[in-house]
Amino acid sequence: MAVACHVLLISLQVNTASGVRVFEGVTFGLFAEVQRLVSGSVEQLSDLWEGYVGLVEVQAENDALRREVSELQLEVQQERALAQRARGLEELLDMRREVNFSTVGARVIAGDATPYFRTVTIDRGISDGVRHDSAVVSPEGVVGRVVRDPGPRAARVQLLIDRNAAAGALVERNRVAGLVAGEEDGTLSMEYVSNLDDVEVGDAVVTSGIDGIYPKGFVIGTVALVERGSGLYKTIQVEPAVEFADLEDVLVIVREPTPVGTSAGGG
Amino acid sequence: MRAAQVGVALAFALASQTTLVPRMTGVATVDLVLVVVLSVAMRQGAVAGLWTGTVGGLLQDALSGGVVGVGGLAKTLVGYFVGRFASQFDVDRLWQQVMVFFFGSLLHAGVFVGVYSLLSETAMLSSYMAALTQGGANTAIGVGAGLALAAVPSVEERQRRRKRRLERRFGRRAH
Repeated sequence: MAVACHVLLISLQVNTASGVRVFEGVTFGLFAEVQRLVSGSVEQLSDLWEGYVGLVEVQAENDALRREVSELQLEVQQERALAQRARGLEELLDMRREVNFSTVGARVIAGDATPYFRTVTIDRGISDGVRHDSAVVSPEGVVGRVVRDPGPRAARVQLLIDRNAAAGALVERNRVAGLVAGEEDGTLSMEYVSNLDDVEVGDAVVTSGIDGIYPKGFVIGTVALVERGSGLYKTIQVEPAVEFADLEDVLVIVREPTPVGTSAGGG
Repeated sequence: MRAAQVGVALAFALASQTTLVPRMTGVATVDLVLVVVLSVAMRQGAVAGLWTGTVGGLLQDALSGGVVGVGGLAKTLVGYFVGRFASQFDVDRLWQQVMVFFFGSLLHAGVFVGVYSLLSETAMLSSYMAALTQGGANTAIGVGAGLALAAVPSVEERQRRRKRRLERRFGRRAH
């Protein structure tokens, strides 16, 4: 026990070559594999459970046609799920073609270990080109950025709605600049917008690129509330474009934009 | 609970916290690692609670987006004080366990938020309601899991029952 404590204490202080603490690196790397396994099992169990519930409901409706109808419904559900998944992947693929960045597709395999922060773990890491501060996007808009040094096959992404997250932003209509930051209730606030500026409910908010992390012009959300602030700045609430609760597939931007006219590389 | 069982419980809590809890909107505020720490502290006392809190908190910190050590410190303190409390007072009854889980969770939230308020200006919990909701969720899951585990006979008990059944059926052959 005493030896284990000493090893733990040492690993908490010693950094690896990439700068991350040994304790964090080892824990994250090992647990990412467990999370990948559990996430896969949960998805399979979830599919199994939904199928069973579907069968029970159909049985109540019609005893005579129970088996046939339930099987058909199950098939339809499976086809629909497959179609939705394919549509999502197609959207990701289309976006990948449109964007002049080198990207890799990633799957969300776990959430945060505490209820206080909003981070997710994705199944891509250093070996896929993912780096600290790599921007993460989806077809709907900006998702977040990679925080801390990623593991070989997994990385932690701080969602834009995390209370410690922020991004440079612009109101698309008139290019009014500000800073979008995460709030505890899962919304976003746009800060440092002067009371003299013109911002209206429904205005689209996009990234300004000034932070050096998120590329310019990606959708963040729409303005949901605008009030005149007591000081110099307006109080602006932004509804995120991304549905963070249902996040499954994302794109990680792994390289700077290629010059105009050249094709985007895949990852 | 032995150390290995506590380790398995912590690993299960961490895996569930990161994979199952985010899928369930209604229980998104629950802290399953804290539930394990409180359960161990209540059953095994201050030292076991302290170590479970230290290991569980540090592992949780390493897997979360926050500063490593804050959760570990909060859970270490909660594990120790709840263990001390449980060794001094009776916590066998249901309502007593409800109180321990609830106020243990509030103590954890207080320490966690307090330390973060010293480290950064970002508010960790915007309202008392958030802390109360988390306390309620932890209490419901902790007490519920305790009741469920109590209803399941232990491995030793199952072996004793099996032995008695076999003895009734075939009689005592040895001796």
